[in-house]
Amino acid sequence: MSPLARMILRRLAVSVLILVVVSVLIFAATLLLPGDPARAILGQQATPERVAALSEQLGLDRPAPERYLSWLGGVLTGDLGYSAATQGPVTELLGGRIGASALLLVLTALVSTPVALALGARAAVRRGTRTDSAVSGTSLVLAALPEFVIGVLLVVLFATSVLRILPSVTIARPGEPVWARPEQLVLPVLTLALVVIPYVVRMMRATLSETLDAGYVEMARLKGLPERTVLLRHAVPHTIGPVAQVIALQLAWLAGGVVVVEFLFRYPGIGQALIDAVANRDVQVVQAITLIIAAFYVLVNLAADVAGILADPRIRHSSTGGGS
Amino acid sequence: MISPTGAPLSRRRLLGGAAGLAAATALAGCGGPAAAREAGPPRRGGVLRVGVTGGGSSDTLDPHSPATNPDIARTLSLYEPLLHWDDAYTLQPAVAESVTPEPGARAWTARIRAGITFHDGRPVTPDDVVATFRRITDPDDPKSGASQFGILDDVVVASDSSVRFVLSEPSPVFDQYLAEYSCGIVPADFSLEDPVGTGAFRYASFTPGQQSAFVRHDGYWRPGQPWVDRLELINFSEDDARINALLSGQVDAIDQVPLSLTEVVGSYDSVRLLTSETGSWLPFTLRVDVAPFDDVRVRQALRLVAGRGELVEQVLSGQGAGAVDLYARFDPEYLDPAREQDLQRARDLLARAGKPNLSLELVTSPIQAGTVEAAQVFATQARAAGIEIGLRRVDTSTFFSDQYLQWEFAQSFWNTRNYLPQASQSSMPDSPFNETHWDDAQYQSVVRRARSELDPRVRAQLVRAAQRIEFERGGYLIWGFPDRVDAHQAYVGGLVPNRTGLSLSGYEFRKAWVSA
Repeated sequence: MSPLARMILRRLAVSVLILVVVSVLIFAATLLLPGDPARAILGQQATPERVAALSEQLGLDRPAPERYLSWLGGVLTGDLGYSAATQGPVTELLGGRIGASALLLVLTALVSTPVALALGARAAVRRGTRTDSAVSGTSLVLAALPEFVIGVLLVVLFATSVLRILPSVTIARPGEPVWARPEQLVLPVLTLALVVIPYVVRMMRATLSETLDAGYVEMARLKGLPERTVLLRHAVPHTIGPVAQVIALQLAWLAGGVVVVEFLFRYPGIGQALIDAVANRDVQVVQAITLIIAAFYVLVNLAADVAGILADPRIRHSSTGGGS
Repeated sequence: MISPTGAPLSRRRLLGGAAGLAAATALAGCGGPAAAREAGPPRRGGVLRVGVTGGGSSDTLDPHSPATNPDIARTLSLYEPLLHWDDAYTLQPAVAESVTPEPGARAWTARIRAGITFHDGRPVTPDDVVATFRRITDPDDPKSGASQFGILDDVVVASDSSVRFVLSEPSPVFDQYLAEYSCGIVPADFSLEDPVGTGAFRYASFTPGQQSAFVRHDGYWRPGQPWVDRLELINFSEDDARINALLSGQVDAIDQVPLSLTEVVGSYDSVRLLTSETGSWLPFTLRVDVAPFDDVRVRQALRLVAGRGELVEQVLSGQGAGAVDLYARFDPEYLDPAREQDLQRARDLLARAGKPNLSLELVTSPIQAGTVEAAQVFATQARAAGIEIGLRRVDTSTFFSDQYLQWEFAQSFWNTRNYLPQASQSSMPDSPFNETHWDDAQYQSVVRRARSELDPRVRAQLVRAAQRIEFERGGYLIWGFPDRVDAHQAYVGGLVPNRTGLSLSGYEFRKAWVSA
């Protein structure tokens, strides 16, 4: 096995381990929540007999480690449990919502990444000029604003007060997917993109600036290569590793950030389901969504690590392998 | 625009309310739309889209267990009870043409409206009515309306168009219970998969936590109504999203504009506010069976501490009426006494009770708009009388957990009811929600006599006597009746102020039309 493959496999193993630890933590945290799940499911009809019967049915009378293992077994086989609020399987509740949230994430990534990389590169190449200060200043201001404020400002600007050209909330007819009315996606995606872009811009600018000052870039210039070639062939490849890390971290953050944005725009994704589930003490739904977000976080970071490894010439060409 | 309340701003209120809507008003001037389209005379056709507060994945279509606002709005669209509270909070016939007591009021007869049909075209029969009440009071699965039918012994078919309610004790006000929205009449073979009723709208689709849609019931019995062909109810868990949806024209009407934002929303030309006086009330609950509230002087002192005008001004932005520790303001016998803030007398009472430096913990929760703010304002007022009130804020599900009805000093929320039905809900030993553990022998005997007294004049006297007892020594501290403020587009007509405490003309969308 090549050292490169071994290194990637090791990262993968670590990721799986992290997920197992996270699943234990999630399970333990929900054990600590006040209230009895059976009572929560039954609500007003919680007579002692029915609570006892349901507790047995849900296995609440068994010891915690045994329950954890059966929950984990369910998760691995695609059974995320039973929702107290809908009285149905969690997978049914989350099915469409995962797709809706994923759409939001993918669109945000597609919009924000090229824009951020281009802006960051431009600022780095034109360090010290007005373009640079405009890009850096704006991204600093945007980075300081919470997503809620950005969202509200966009709604005021484009939906309710100044211009009334975009819808402010997502309303899908029953059975209609969220992308059936693309105009409803504009403001949520734009909000998330404006939150993510500043960090990537700043990282791209910093990394590329550093690279442009490096000896090998100077060397390439001295060889008489055109500046364009210097930039694209010699400088940019060195920024891929660190910038991919930042993009991955931003995407991972998005998985949590959608909670607020989905709430504000009434977007029917997992973030809204999480808020609803917490309010209803719908424990198994909370567990499932938390685990999904954690898994996404770990996977995206893994992907970034792998991209970093593949992009780093020192590692790629090293014959001995080992640390980064 | 936002009144200077004593309440500290939460993150959401600051960002959503102040930043968003203040900016909105400031900017509204520059880009206002052309003259608003007006509603005009009633018109058939069109779609009405309504944003409704609350709801979630536990939403239901069950006619007899509505819990959240969207549940109630759906219930009132699909189903109808035998009787009906109109906009002025008076009883009117609905599925029943008449409901009359037999002499002695130990039994009542309901005559079913001639020609009334369910959505599937079948006529409403006495068997359907009997089955409906069996379903509500099913001992294995009692629905939320069941508690008020404790005195209902049996429902039997009396003729081919009437049913007879047999009671365990005389009840001259039994007809009021039949008008609650959780008693909608359904067919004997009712199932949730096919939610059929006699309401103005037929079921079309339902996604819990998201929205539901309904179409016109062409065989509806009220002439002309409903005006619109299609009704869509859309859940909103977030105030700002709901208001933004109205302002951007994605919905035609919304319920519950936060009282601190009514001025801002009302400043839009295209939007009309709908303000209703209601009999809903937001009390503080003092458990009369635990110290220090078991001492009547402590309860009296706390009631004297409350500055009711200031509470209405600060908590409700002045949109409501002050209350003086009595509920049921629309009951014909409402006492409407006076009780002014009197800190000196409050101090004297506490000194005589041996508790000059009283320190209390008040459990508060955002169970209704304004409850937490009311707790904060009241705590400030109490400090002036030397009473230290610490606030313990819990979330709504904790508030209504097993500990609900056990809290010693907390808050509550009730909708409009007349005096005796409300007393049965909350002030009697057999009440399902006796929050204050109120257990006063003299009071109970007066209320019991009133409940079965057939002479309306004597009953009126008894109801007033019961109110005097609660006013003097009860466990509720009631400071105000909040107005209900909803909003709709100018092109929506037919929605009128309604006293029931339910939003948007009592969620009776059959009355609404949209102009072309």
